[in-house]
Amino acid sequence: MKLDPRTKLFMILVVSAVVMMSATTPFLWAVRIVMTLIPIILLIIEKKYTSAFGFTFLYAAALVMTFCFINEASATFFKTFVTGYSGIVVQFMPCLITAWYVVRTTKIGEFMSAMQKMHLPDGITISLAVVMRFFPTIREEYSSISDAMKMRGISLGGGNAAKMIEYRMIPLLFSCVNIGDELSAAAITRGLGGNVRRTSVETLKLHVSDWLLITAFTAVAVIFVLFKYVL
Amino acid sequence: MSENIIEIEHVSFKYKGSEEGLLKDTSLTVRKGETLLLTGASGSGKTTIIRLINGLIPHYYQGDVEGKVTVAGRDIAKTELYELAGVVGTVFQNPRSQFFSIDTDGEIVFGPENVGLDPRAILERKDLVVSEMHIEKLLGRSLFELSGGEKQSIACASVSALLPDIILLDEPSSNLDQGAIRKLAGQIRMWKSQGKTIVISEHRLWYLKDLVDRVIYMDSGKIAHEWSGKEFASFDPGQIEQLKLRPLEVPDILSPGCGGDCDCDGSCKVDLTAPDPAGGITLKKFYFSYHRNPYLIFKKNFDENDKNLSLCIPRLVLPKGAVIGVIGKNGTGKSTFLKCICGLEKDCKGIIETDGKEYKGKARLKLSYMVMQDVNHQLFTDSVESEVMLSMTEPDKERCEKILDSLGILEFKDKHPMALSGGQKQRVAIASAMAADAKLMLFDEPTSGLDFNHMEKVGHLLKTLAESGNTVLVATHDPELIELCCDYVLCIENGKLGYMKRV
Repeated sequence: MKLDPRTKLFMILVVSAVVMMSATTPFLWAVRIVMTLIPIILLIIEKKYTSAFGFTFLYAAALVMTFCFINEASATFFKTFVTGYSGIVVQFMPCLITAWYVVRTTKIGEFMSAMQKMHLPDGITISLAVVMRFFPTIREEYSSISDAMKMRGISLGGGNAAKMIEYRMIPLLFSCVNIGDELSAAAITRGLGGNVRRTSVETLKLHVSDWLLITAFTAVAVIFVLFKYVL
Repeated sequence: MSENIIEIEHVSFKYKGSEEGLLKDTSLTVRKGETLLLTGASGSGKTTIIRLINGLIPHYYQGDVEGKVTVAGRDIAKTELYELAGVVGTVFQNPRSQFFSIDTDGEIVFGPENVGLDPRAILERKDLVVSEMHIEKLLGRSLFELSGGEKQSIACASVSALLPDIILLDEPSSNLDQGAIRKLAGQIRMWKSQGKTIVISEHRLWYLKDLVDRVIYMDSGKIAHEWSGKEFASFDPGQIEQLKLRPLEVPDILSPGCGGDCDCDGSCKVDLTAPDPAGGITLKKFYFSYHRNPYLIFKKNFDENDKNLSLCIPRLVLPKGAVIGVIGKNGTGKSTFLKCICGLEKDCKGIIETDGKEYKGKARLKLSYMVMQDVNHQLFTDSVESEVMLSMTEPDKERCEKILDSLGILEFKDKHPMALSGGQKQRVAIASAMAADAKLMLFDEPTSGLDFNHMEKVGHLLKTLAESGNTVLVATHDPELIELCCDYVLCIENGKLGYMKRV
């Protein structure tokens, strides 16, 4: 199933707004859990089973922790730690799942086309597109650097946390700067950043599934605002 | 006499912040439809000329430019870069950093979209380019999964899609294997037949010698020689060596039976003259796959009978104290092999046996050291000296200086490793390997993109390392390097051992 990038952006927007409003009643909790299930189902439809399963497991575990084990007596260090940890997961996981889904399923061309349709300035569109382009690159670079560190036995920075970060960040920054530089050079020789209006071969149309999701997420947003601030 | 399409008149250039000029009063004209090769040592100004033509100098890389560059009737200094997009197309050296998109389709249409063509016209062009280049099977894929050669094909396609009259290639073969280079040559031939003007900056010459109309030899920022393509192709090896260029013919040592990068279908076998296990390093049970077996609780170790193994070497004896060239196509498992040997792939449970000792798991990390293709990834500290000390279990300044001296980089010991040149960085990485007392040194493509002079130096260095008792494995696509320094070649095919033989 192909969703319009605009729908996806709307999903991110709603989910981020909802996670910032804490759920207080069981009904709101239910709404929130249903909302989290939507991107998980979408991931399954896209055949990303591993990540769907992983997210579900983490989220479910955190939910169970939060509801079953936490009471006023949670005072020991371990319990406090678990409470805090699962609280954060329950609160922000929905956002992470949605963002993951969007990044994994959106092509840069589609994304840029959607941004243009919404009449956002090219400057913003291009910068965001570059950020998207850079995620996989950073991951690749990071894993080579980790390999190099393992080989020298300095993965743990010799027990020094600052060194551990320094050793990772310095080569990463250097290679990202280099790649970014070459990347921009290659992009502008192919006409990026001209004063011509960019066109796009991606034809974007909101389909039934898009409207359904937009309705569903609007409903979630409305319910949260109503129940928290009006009623 | 056809018209001149590129005119460079008395141009001098130096990058901002650098003292020395990279280009000194250079003039060059290129006729329409001509195929021109720029060659010469690294840093002789080839890339600078490419950048002058595509306008990256002075619009992107800043510096002092004197003189005038005219391309297709436009004064480059007064033309905006995006106006040149449909006129000049550039294929760059590094496939991984010239993509803007994540998917292949998006990349091909990226240029035409930028110049604002009608979407329907763009799709027509895309179809045209795809069918011309026969890359149908690459469509709809993620660029991050493609091999180097495939990436370079997409880069060519995305340049083609803008239908430029002038195509520039900046060391396009650096990261390619022989098969992919032949494909690239075919691509250039096609462009040539379409009447495009082509300028190529390159160290590898064998695939170009019959393609080019004119050869320019650059030396320290000046055009030192100029020959016609025919003249150049008839040069004998001695002349080429004097010019410090890579040879015009690929040495035939990778045959017999196996042409070039080993296309044989299992017809060649492991050479029986391989050394006996007593004096060698024995590798046992090296199995690895990127396609993990699904598991819930217990991880199942890979074994010989698994399907989809990316690496399957039940047993292999490596001669000690030798330089062994590891060859094979792009994506056939050379890098995987090296990574598994030095223990970076945890799921590979291979055992290394040497001097009666067994090394398993993490112990392999101590025994071996890999110098990566991109050495920037393995330099962590702020001075060459501390970089080397980092590898020592007991910091020993004297030994560190000795090592640096033996590699000829003692004078840089207080410099920041990132401030050094590519070759010097490589030496720093080698110094760390020596400091770590690695017996097995692995090199992943140490000479890609190097000129002959630097390649020769690397070759000698590898030899010296082997002579002092290390065993050196070097994965490479450069037959020249193998001829220079390798005692054995080891061919990997689809993760399996193709053959190993003495050179």
